[in-house]
Amino acid sequence: MTLVPGAILALVVLAAAGLLPVVALVGLRWATVPLCPLGGAVMAAVAATCCLGIGASTMTWFVLAGASAALATLAWWWWRPDRRPWRAPAAGPAPHRTTGLAAVVGIGGACAWCLRTLSTPTVGFDTRAVWLMRAGWFLQPHHQLVTDMSSPGIFLSQTSYPPLVSAAGSVAWSVTGNHSMRLGVVVIALLNTCALAAAAFAVVECGRHATTRLAASTSSGRGAPASPGGRRRAGALVVLPSVVAVVGAVALVFVTFAVAEPFMTNGYADPLWSLAAVGAVAYGLQAEAGNGALGAAAVLVVVAGMSKDEGAVTAVLLLALLVVRRLLAAGPDRRRLWWRPVVAGSVGLAFVGAWPATVHLLHLRHVSAGGSPASQYVHRAHQAIDGLAPYLHVVVLAGTLAVVGWLFLTPVRRAVGMGNDAWGWAGSAAGSAVILAAYVTGTADVPSWLTTTAHRVTEFTALSGWWIIALWAVTASAAPALAGAATLSRPRPTPVAG
Amino acid sequence: MLGTAAAEGPSGRRGRWDVLRVAVGATVAVVAVGGLVVKAAHGGQTVQDLRSRTPVADAELDDVYYRCLDVQARSVVAPGRPVLIEGPDFGAYVTLLKAVGSWVTIAGHPSPSDVALSIDQRGGGGSCLGSVVVARQRGPDGRRTTLVGSGASVPGKGPPPPPPL
Repeated sequence: MTLVPGAILALVVLAAAGLLPVVALVGLRWATVPLCPLGGAVMAAVAATCCLGIGASTMTWFVLAGASAALATLAWWWWRPDRRPWRAPAAGPAPHRTTGLAAVVGIGGACAWCLRTLSTPTVGFDTRAVWLMRAGWFLQPHHQLVTDMSSPGIFLSQTSYPPLVSAAGSVAWSVTGNHSMRLGVVVIALLNTCALAAAAFAVVECGRHATTRLAASTSSGRGAPASPGGRRRAGALVVLPSVVAVVGAVALVFVTFAVAEPFMTNGYADPLWSLAAVGAVAYGLQAEAGNGALGAAAVLVVVAGMSKDEGAVTAVLLLALLVVRRLLAAGPDRRRLWWRPVVAGSVGLAFVGAWPATVHLLHLRHVSAGGSPASQYVHRAHQAIDGLAPYLHVVVLAGTLAVVGWLFLTPVRRAVGMGNDAWGWAGSAAGSAVILAAYVTGTADVPSWLTTTAHRVTEFTALSGWWIIALWAVTASAAPALAGAATLSRPRPTPVAG
Repeated sequence: MLGTAAAEGPSGRRGRWDVLRVAVGATVAVVAVGGLVVKAAHGGQTVQDLRSRTPVADAELDDVYYRCLDVQARSVVAPGRPVLIEGPDFGAYVTLLKAVGSWVTIAGHPSPSDVALSIDQRGGGGSCLGSVVVARQRGPDGRRTTLVGSGASVPGKGPPPPPPL
């Protein structure tokens, strides 16, 4: 099968495998569309783990995992008819549908425009040496996969990295019969773009929630303006956060390609874990914590955790933050259900931990060759910060906006239902700390290590900074409507002679 | 003199606070959207740059080089035959792994009957930018044989420009 039909077929197969569980977790919303192939990629990663740890072939496990997940979802909907997604309240008022469609066209168009870089047939260094080499390994039977992973003739420790990217490539090769590097690169680039689109839709959803809340506050009681002109102006102000969110989300697509540069479309795993983690932070820590948003965060955090080592450690920290936020947000009537977020977090941890546990239990490739002595930590930290800082100027802008926003716009942020900004920063700090810790405790010479990695490993921190900026834009654009509502609902002052 | 009782009380302070909040909100929104738009424009330029002639030519040469090594390796390794990937140096080892690692059958514990695959530098025709794939193996009679890969070639010298790391 040739490249374009092959890439389409591979994406359809991955999306079909992920469809039902993702719909069950996230519901019927636009973000579900890009999340489905990512859900299928998680199935592929689970399949590769089972092939390595248990036996049979990755494709056998992929079919089994997809069928099991679909059956479990159908059983869940049969047992709990109230949880069927088509029972959920539909779309909402007309402005929501309009901004939703504008977001789809804008984000989809921007992604398609940026994916034109695929016309340059670049295959990255690590793509050949690690990610797609292992895609071939995952097509081999269990005993040969174990041999590949343990052979003393393979000196690359990176072959023990989490399996999602390679497993998705493996499924693509298997269903198309086209085992070319090019097809693998295109499928990985499409998965990166799915994660990007899903994370961008988080901003759109924040804008829509803000508009919904503002509409409720301006149309209720004394907040409603009396004159037609006043109503029109109030209506325009109420829609402003949605409009800003769509503009911000489309801009974020281009921003991501500016930050990731060639790595977005040359088969590297760094954009995938970074974007998935950014999306998980946006849905799970920054947005209003509804069930659908938490479902999207769950899918994305697992994708991040099964894509790369630093993604796995970051995912574990993000899972902890997600659980803590859910526990703290529970009202008194829901405190007795504290075990639910803990169980959900444990399930996520099981997904993320399955591959490293299997590699460890089978005594496969040993990554650790000891660490640097503690006496060098400070020096190495200085070197790492100096090397990483040029890629993280955005943090200065995001930090400035966050401080100003915290001082003046906290009531607005609270009123439009967004999470405390500190959650977003905690998520960003978690990922950044993981990267810094790797440089500080690793054994390689830091300056030369930075030369080949700094650009890629700072993607998560840089992108989460841009997402924080976009969400402050949405929050800030709600201030006029909120002030108008407050003014209108306030008792009119009585003129007095003095 | 006309005044308002509320203007001197909490309600008036709240009004001034609302005005300040709207002004700060507008500033934050403009700065944030402005920053996003400027960086987005940079992203658009990045996309154009990546589609320019030099990256395309480099990528095509890289692709042709590895396909050439792949074809040569297939000409000297029978399907399913355990293979040891060798140097002569770490750079050549990684190059060979990148070219054939996804499809060869990696040998578990090295044995004399395995095929040792490596890259030799040889100028002239029949090479991939000056490199050829070489398979050394011991036959059933114990004699060592050396097979040189064939079936593809790329004229020129030296490896292709390295892709971004």
